Amino acid sequence: MGILPDEIKPAMQGVIPSHVVTCARDGTPNASAISQVYYVDPDHVALSHQFFNKTKRNVAENPRAVAWVISPETFEAWDLELEFVRSETSGPVFEIMEMQIEAIASMVGMKGIFKLRAADIFRVTAVTKTVGERIPFAEIPGPR
Amino acid sequence: MIPDRVVEVLHGPAWMQIGTRDEALRPAHTFAVGAMVHADRQTVTVFVPTARSGRVLRDLRENGRIALGASLASHEAYQLKGTYVSSRPTDDADRARQDAYRAALLASALEAGYPEPIARPLALGFAYTPGVAITFRADEVFLQTPGPGAGTLLS
Repeated sequence: MGILPDEIKPAMQGVIPSHVVTCARDGTPNASAISQVYYVDPDHVALSHQFFNKTKRNVAENPRAVAWVISPETFEAWDLELEFVRSETSGPVFEIMEMQIEAIASMVGMKGIFKLRAADIFRVTAVTKTVGERIPFAEIPGPR
Repeated sequence: MIPDRVVEVLHGPAWMQIGTRDEALRPAHTFAVGAMVHADRQTVTVFVPTARSGRVLRDLRENGRIALGASLASHEAYQLKGTYVSSRPTDDADRARQDAYRAALLASALEAGYPEPIARPLALGFAYTPGVAITFRADEVFLQTPGPGAGTLLS
């Protein structure tokens, strides 16, 4: 039995962008949106590495990250505390993520810009369902 | 000084997130619902739900380092990195600003093509009251729109 609950899987389909915060060695945090946090197994996720950006550089300096994911079905959200393990540029996880990133890019008009360079594998060290961040679904005003 | 376009984006509607870190360089994240840029064009106040403010406020009081990401449904995005100044409970004026912000966020999500069953709970579902107003000084502003210019220092 791993650390990730089954109920979190819909939040990792890339329907709603996720967010990731990292921190440079000098202590400067970095907050960034990310197309997908991919469920690898009950203890690992993969973050899509599409650009040579600050998130990538920070993780090379300091392997800790936190990712926020939200379910498009229940709108429940989770914080994942992560520790970088490795980058994969081939293999089944990379290939599935590459297909999904292409699909996301087509949907959001970013084809040719969103391109998977690597699947960055992280070990999940803690999972917390966020409390108090969301208004209960039944209390959100307007038609549904 | 925060560029004009970034002021517009911060005044919303934008999807905003805050990043902080503790003494062990462990990052933390929370959402912000609404922001305002002060007249000096360098000081920014963002609003976060009290229930999600504990860790980030602790980090900010300890080390002062903050990142604020702001993005539009079009993927246009910016990031401010700065230094914590103060915090206080949100007041009626803040909540009025947040109400307008949330309504505009829903309109922008629908205009961007998000289906109503996703756009409405996504835009209106973030808790915002009771809230905390976090004020910081922006030291650097970066372009974060996906593409070759991402990471460019704007100010």
